[in-house]
Amino acid sequence: MELLSEDDLNLKEMTWEELNRAWDLWFTLAQATNDFDPPYTHGVFVDPDWKPTRKPEGDSE
Amino acid sequence: MASRSKNIYFELTEELNAEGFIAVLASGQAVVYYKIAMMSKDGDWILKETPEACRRVLEVLGQRGARYRSGAPLDVRWLAAGWSSHFEFIDLEGRRIRCDFLTRPPRVSPEDVAPLFEAKPGESLLVIGLEPLIRMKQTQRAKDYPVIGELARLLPPEREIEWTTDPDRILELASVHGESSKRPPVRAARAGGSREDVVVELARELDRLQQQDRKRVEKYRAAAETFTREFLAARIGDKELTEAHSHVCQLAERWLPFDPLGTEEDHGAPQ
Repeated sequence: MELLSEDDLNLKEMTWEELNRAWDLWFTLAQATNDFDPPYTHGVFVDPDWKPTRKPEGDSE
Repeated sequence: MASRSKNIYFELTEELNAEGFIAVLASGQAVVYYKIAMMSKDGDWILKETPEACRRVLEVLGQRGARYRSGAPLDVRWLAAGWSSHFEFIDLEGRRIRCDFLTRPPRVSPEDVAPLFEAKPGESLLVIGLEPLIRMKQTQRAKDYPVIGELARLLPPEREIEWTTDPDRILELASVHGESSKRPPVRAARAGGSREDVVVELARELDRLQQQDRKRVEKYRAAAETFTREFLAARIGDKELTEAHSHVCQLAERWLPFDPLGTEEDHGAPQ
């Protein structure tokens, strides 16, 4: 049974250099959603008054 | 300048450990290291529970212009109680780097933490082993369980069966490798149960783990509520790291308990 998507499972076929470059690109692109990230996804020091910011239309992440 | 072709969290791991092994890369970036998934924008480390290790982290992060995020002081008095410390800086390429530290990873015993700081021959990065990583990933988040299934595939079959979340792997492995397992889905498979029986037992197990984690995290969250308000009101995140550290210690001495769970449960950082 496949538990993850092909995009993730393909990581195993990458060399370290390829993995690092792919991660670096992914991380740079992921900066676009910084303003919409919750302060913590699984933490306890969350501002009790924090409200999620609405993401832009069409952003599925 | 950080190389375009290197994960900055791997780079930070090497820098933190340059004067002795104090920081083990864990959680999401360890999942990247094992080539499972790109699932985290943050870096998490298990830190050696010593004042020297804390000083080294503050030194390295201070050089990068890091600021505290809301969290416990990076001080063994609170880390030993299972609290975690959180930092953020902007790298030379303008990217937000978030760094989280704990010394008591949830569901991992201190006896299993100590060997993590021993370097493995031929490995340049200090990264958490598969089984403690799986334990850390047994959180309340549903997205962690497919990752656990993939991490488990990297283990030998007699260990994979103790952790896998894949019903098909349980059915494949149970007859040969499941004799000593106490896991209900493995026992269901060994008892001749159907695939559905195994799936149901897996779902119950997953829900139990999620509820346990949720309960634990909620106790920490409740114990941290006043401290968090005070932290934010004091605008600790705007201060230079040395000043911020001193201030956050003062706040924690007043508002952050050393024993948030009482004595009824094992400690272990909620993050």
